[in-house]
Amino acid sequence: MNIHSYEKLWLIAALLLIVGFIATITYGSVGLGIAMIDDSEDTVNPGSLDEDFGEPRVEHVGENEYEAYVIAQTFTYRPDPIEVPADSEVTFYVTSRDVIHSFSVVGTNVNTMVIPGEVSSMTVEFDDPGEYGIVCNEYCGDFHHTMEGQLHVVPEDEFDMTELSVEADDEVELGDEATFNVSVENGMLDDLETTASFEIGDETVEEEITVAGESTEETTFTVDSSDLGEGDHDWTITVDDYEESGTLTVVDELEEENDGGNNDE
Amino acid sequence: MGQATEESEQLQEIGHDEYDPVGTLALIGLYFLILVFLWLFVYFVEFLGNDPTVIGTMLIGGIA
Repeated sequence: MNIHSYEKLWLIAALLLIVGFIATITYGSVGLGIAMIDDSEDTVNPGSLDEDFGEPRVEHVGENEYEAYVIAQTFTYRPDPIEVPADSEVTFYVTSRDVIHSFSVVGTNVNTMVIPGEVSSMTVEFDDPGEYGIVCNEYCGDFHHTMEGQLHVVPEDEFDMTELSVEADDEVELGDEATFNVSVENGMLDDLETTASFEIGDETVEEEITVAGESTEETTFTVDSSDLGEGDHDWTITVDDYEESGTLTVVDELEEENDGGNNDE
Repeated sequence: MGQATEESEQLQEIGHDEYDPVGTLALIGLYFLILVFLWLFVYFVEFLGNDPTVIGTMLIGGIA
């Protein structure tokens, strides 16, 4: 067969092009570890996600490794916003409670279908802080167009998984002690060393606390109401950047029907 | 018909390898270069350059 030299040139170039396509994709997947999202996760029962999947949350599972459990439902994502630190590897587990949705981090290839009963998992490397939008790109109902979430990649040193809650007396009788139960939850794997400071009136008490990884530490502040005197006293409890505050009322005599009540916001 | 005969008299036969469409070659070559450039741009700049990106869990399991 007599093939023209230009035709030969074209045949060779076209073959090289195909080899080049395959080589770049092989380099991406083998060399850089770029992956596609598959159905390797076990299935869950969308009717009992609370048991099978648990609360929507972010977990610290290793050094710079996090797991985010996300539930998509009409017409929202939970948790919202999803907060993860920069310079970390986050594995997302996403499932749906009702109909087919999608989980698409806009402008990136973090994009998957979210199917009830299936868990889509994908591991994503976040190098730099930033804010991303998450949208649903599978038509899921009347308000599909409003279905969006936020993904916040915060600087590493600003990221923590601390939660502060305070249980305090609202009202005490003059002469009694008012107690403030402070619990500090640390969701990270590392220990958290911090200072809890308690302010009431002009008085400030500070206490060093160490919260072990993935646990909760409780401490109690007490104040003698006779030092404060009758009336309303504002208090503030601060742990790192978290603050809880309220008002303590010191009365001469507690009314019978009022059982004190708790302020556990 | 007379006209056709006149034209056929002007026909010039060339051999297979004497046919040399340089213009077509240049045009297809240009298309080819654009295609290669766009592939490299889309894959390396748009796809790999837009962090964050999905990476394989298998690979991480191997490293960790």
